[in-house]
Amino acid sequence: MRLLVVEDDSAIREFLNRGLTEAGYRVDVARDGKSALALADEEVYDGFIVDLGLPDMDGLDVIGRCRAQGHTAPVLILSARRSVDERVRGLEQGGDDYLTKPFALAELLARIRNLLRHSTPVQSEPTCLRVADMELDLIRRDARRGNDLLQLTAQEFALLEYLVRNAGRVVTRTMILDRVWRMRIDPATNVVDVQIYRLRNKVDGEGKRPLIHTIRGVGYVLKEA
Amino acid sequence: MFLRKRKSQGPSAAWRIAIWPTVAFALGSAIAFAIMYLLIAKDIRQRSDAWLSGEAEVLADVSANTPRDALYDRLVEEVAELASREVPGASDSRGQHQNPVFFLQAQPGQEPIWVGPNPKERLIQAIKSSQLAPGIPADVQVPGWEKAFRVVYHRRDDGGVLYLGFADVGGAQMLDRLTKRCLLVWGATVALGFLITWLAAYRTLTRVERISDTVSRIGSEDLSSRLPEGPHSDEISRLSRTFNRMLDRIQSSVHQMRILTDSVAHDLKSPVTSVRGSLEVALSDGHEGRWQECVAEAIDGLDRLSQMLNTTLDLAEADAGALQLRKEPIDLSELVRQLVDLYQPAMAEHRHEVSTRLQPARIDADPSLLNRSIANLFDNEIAHLPPGCHIHVSVAPRNGQAELTVEDNGPGFPPSLRTRALERFVKGQHSTGHGLGLAFVSAAIQSHGGHVQVTDGKHGGAVIAVSLPLAEVLSERV
Repeated sequence: MRLLVVEDDSAIREFLNRGLTEAGYRVDVARDGKSALALADEEVYDGFIVDLGLPDMDGLDVIGRCRAQGHTAPVLILSARRSVDERVRGLEQGGDDYLTKPFALAELLARIRNLLRHSTPVQSEPTCLRVADMELDLIRRDARRGNDLLQLTAQEFALLEYLVRNAGRVVTRTMILDRVWRMRIDPATNVVDVQIYRLRNKVDGEGKRPLIHTIRGVGYVLKEA
Repeated sequence: MFLRKRKSQGPSAAWRIAIWPTVAFALGSAIAFAIMYLLIAKDIRQRSDAWLSGEAEVLADVSANTPRDALYDRLVEEVAELASREVPGASDSRGQHQNPVFFLQAQPGQEPIWVGPNPKERLIQAIKSSQLAPGIPADVQVPGWEKAFRVVYHRRDDGGVLYLGFADVGGAQMLDRLTKRCLLVWGATVALGFLITWLAAYRTLTRVERISDTVSRIGSEDLSSRLPEGPHSDEISRLSRTFNRMLDRIQSSVHQMRILTDSVAHDLKSPVTSVRGSLEVALSDGHEGRWQECVAEAIDGLDRLSQMLNTTLDLAEADAGALQLRKEPIDLSELVRQLVDLYQPAMAEHRHEVSTRLQPARIDADPSLLNRSIANLFDNEIAHLPPGCHIHVSVAPRNGQAELTVEDNGPGFPPSLRTRALERFVKGQHSTGHGLGLAFVSAAIQSHGGHVQVTDGKHGGAVIAVSLPLAEVLSERV
């Protein structure tokens, strides 16, 4: 998968380059709109990451011209501007997702993954998810660990489903609130941690191998060992 | 330089203010005097004309009916002489009559009879060359005489003509005196009027000047001095009062700004310090195994920083009226229910009991702003309540408003904080928050046309009540 990162801030550009390369993408970087458009003309990219505040032109214009030139690859917009209006404008002008600075690398990776998955043909939706000895039935909406049926509330099941769908990848608290609770809030208290703690008590009860792991300072990951 | 310039502006403004009313007053009174003068002059002329016509008739009568003997001339002269003594307003203080009168009776073939000042030739010449209509008095200018003569003439049946002439020198002098006095009075009144107007303007402007002096001193030196408000309740005193109110507000916002800067500095510095500290520890020797923990702590600190930045920016936007609302019809109780579901485990973790009473209340609101506001309220409860409290959350439609109340049985707001709880950077002594949460709630709710109230509960504890206009009420109003 090949990505083009358009970002004028060298520190962020470097950190994106490193983070995305480590995650297994091939990354090209451009520091301004002109060189970005030149690169987009020469190469074929599977996705674009575009900062809105570029020195020579507005990031939205870059997206608009890419779209006009027939590039259909998904675009993730980065911006320091946070207003809902700005977000909507970005999405209307051809962006596919929007991330405000500062952001967690885990969240950026998750969003890129999501965008690339959506742009590739959809596989048939599984009705059953499996990680280690845990099995989630998405039709009956129940979960089993080994032979034990886990007593989960609907909300807990949704949280577990989200973790399982992203098994092996770190998800941040913001992502959990956004995707499971459909809320864009930034709680000052540990509401998400407590929810995870409760879920973990049920999923990783005594004597079982823990599946839900905390990545301090970042978020959570569901994986074997 | 600046002061001197302003000092010279005061009097000049007073002069400018005084000059126009004075000009108007001078013009008006001059016109009034002129009209009076004309009326009096007309009156005097009418009186002298009436005398002239009357006397001329009498003289004509006498000259016609007196037998033509040796005494005729004497008699006519005598009568004319007598008549000239009855000239209106003629005698002055010395008993001498001032107004020259002449009488001329001319008859073909006879010596004319002349009664009047001598030498008579110029007068006779002037009369003869003038165009007169019989019986109608008219002005005749006589060389050597300052005042024109008013002359009337009668044609006698025998072809003779008799003239009676009268120069109203007394009337003219009276008019002259009147004019002089009027001019004097007029000049004095105008000068006095100007002086009074100027003084009044000057006094008023001095008060204005004092205000501007004080204000410029306040601008450059201290914000605590105030303008004297004075016992009057006129415009200037009101101006002073308005200025003072404005200064009160400016002083309080400067004060708030100072608190704000201090708080921001403090709140930004502590996470920056802790982030720096954590990273330093991670770098230092002997921590190879535990660096991840330090970095995680640093990220936590940065998250706190960015959260505070976001809230500060949101608040600034809300204050500038720039919060862009994406309103949609929502049920407030449903929104609250979801948030309670999210927060309940965290509250239970602090051994708080949560009870709800949620009745449907449809409102038009920005769900993401409301989510954040209510999340802030719940965060606030968790942060400030001692363990083991009861939190009651209710939503109900009431008087056209959707009312959300969050009530607890904790210690409540300290009295010093209760009235200011919604202001930014106001926080409890032991609070670890940044004091922006409730301020944001208040700003967000206000941008929806609602309001937030902080009160004491009936049985202690704090009550935070949020009212938002119900959707039905809004649509009725439109």
